[in-house]
Amino acid sequence: MISSTHPAGDSYDATRSVARGPRLLAVGGGKGGVGKTFVTANLAAALARAGKRVVVVDVDLEGANLHTCLGVASPQKTLADFVAEREDDLGKLLIDTPLANLKLIAATHGNLADAQPSHLRRVRLLRGLRQLDADFVLLDLGAGAHASVLDYFLVSDDGILVVQPEPTSVENTYTFLRAAFYRRMRLAMVGHGVRQLVTVAMDQRNERGIKSPLDLLREIEATDTAEAHRFVETMRVFRPRLIVNAVRTAEDVKLGFAVASVCRKYFGIETEYLGYVNYDDEARRSVSMRRPIVDLRSDADVSIYLQRIARKLMELSPAQASVQGPAPTHTPAPTPPPAPAPLAPGISRG
Amino acid sequence: MRGIDELDHYEMLEVPRGASPGEIDRAYRMAQETWAEGSLALYSIFEKRDASEIRARLDEAYRVLADPELRASYDQSHRATEPLAIGPTPTATIAPAAPDAAAAGRAINGAARTLPSIDESARVARAAEAAVTRVFEEDTERYDGRDDDAGGEYDGPRLRRTRLFRGYEIDQIADVTKVSGSHLRNIEDENFADLPADVYVRGFVTAYARTIGLDPVLVVPSYMTRLQESRQKNSRSRFLGLR
Repeated sequence: MISSTHPAGDSYDATRSVARGPRLLAVGGGKGGVGKTFVTANLAAALARAGKRVVVVDVDLEGANLHTCLGVASPQKTLADFVAEREDDLGKLLIDTPLANLKLIAATHGNLADAQPSHLRRVRLLRGLRQLDADFVLLDLGAGAHASVLDYFLVSDDGILVVQPEPTSVENTYTFLRAAFYRRMRLAMVGHGVRQLVTVAMDQRNERGIKSPLDLLREIEATDTAEAHRFVETMRVFRPRLIVNAVRTAEDVKLGFAVASVCRKYFGIETEYLGYVNYDDEARRSVSMRRPIVDLRSDADVSIYLQRIARKLMELSPAQASVQGPAPTHTPAPTPPPAPAPLAPGISRG
Repeated sequence: MRGIDELDHYEMLEVPRGASPGEIDRAYRMAQETWAEGSLALYSIFEKRDASEIRARLDEAYRVLADPELRASYDQSHRATEPLAIGPTPTATIAPAAPDAAAAGRAINGAARTLPSIDESARVARAAEAAVTRVFEEDTERYDGRDDDAGGEYDGPRLRRTRLFRGYEIDQIADVTKVSGSHLRNIEDENFADLPADVYVRGFVTAYARTIGLDPVLVVPSYMTRLQESRQKNSRSRFLGLR
């Protein structure tokens, strides 16, 4: 099911789309307005320009605007049709975008009352996404740490968090990570008692004094070694990716490393810093021009950063095992040397 | 995986065992910034005590590794006792990350040297900004409990439901808010007659909402409207009754 070594690059994607369907990427970040949609649209465009067949899906049912970023005017067929069970074939919802290789499944601000799919519908949606004929499927998640948002994040091969260098965004990133992590763990645990324990631990002020995943592991080890083993295995494949958006200074660039370090030491969670995107007025203009900046001006600084992140994604093997799949027994392949080194153009030095 | 107290000096600084003195310097400087008081990356998750413990351990790691003699004897004494297994493969979770940090150090190095006082003022500004925004943003988005965050009217039963859903006991809220349990229960049960003057209740409900992760801005006006309407109605009927 999950092989232990992946050849990087094209051949890998080719085997993948035949064997397992597309690679599923979820872009979230807890807070609204941190540039999730902007990043999603541009990563998708960058991947498409690199010759990958890409589908972007707007699962932000309450704040849908991915179609606008991609220059698709008010779509006729949307995900709402699938949610409301008017359409069962996701393939029929695919809309062409102005970019070659890039298709969209849009969402619209329809009737909010029936916007949230039922659990069963969500499962079918995820299954449908895996069957799409593409190399990459990117999900643009809504804001918040709502259960449905977390599930999209958790079942994806790569969960990507967009963070902005500001306290509110950092706070929501940790909130999201915590919520996602504990939800993942609750799904991974088998015994009722241990699941209860995970639920208790989710509350930061729980009476058992469990403050971190590590504390929780200690508690589990004391009761059930098999569960503890599962916990450690699950923890190892839980590898969220991080993108820092709207970077203005060198200090901002370092935020990604700092957050990764805090996650590692405090939560025991390994995160991968994919890279950063600088703050750019031109990027804002690209939104009003309804075209991804990487397509509009591929040589702009922002575009260079975004393309670099896209390249890195293509090189990396998927981070997370799917929730439904069996717990993989391999250690994730050591990741290639890390994020963006040189302070590239457009970032001031402080 | 291992806790912070189980990491060796190299793992603390996130450098490989063979790191050069320059790499160790850079990694330490980077770590100092990450774990500094008021550091953006620590925002919202740390209690002061935790961060200062980690800072102390970083200082200790650097003190040893930066000194060639101390480092040599540290290496000597730690070679024998290396893999003390806790999880199945203890070092594996830490090791892959180490090169990242080293490269981070390298990457940032150039910048770090030229980052003096401007950073300091930026950090102060950020901390100030944090204090302001925190009032509004605090704990509004938590866990699955957001299901019940959706706006609309907040009455006693809804507060109670949200509290239970998020797993808080009245006593815990009383401990945190210093509001007595009986007041809190009266708020949930809407025993408006037994509650003190409006201005106190406003404070109680604000503290309650914040503690269970609801946004006071949404909760308080809604709840206070109910309270005041009820009180006006009662005082009117009492007035009529007396007549």
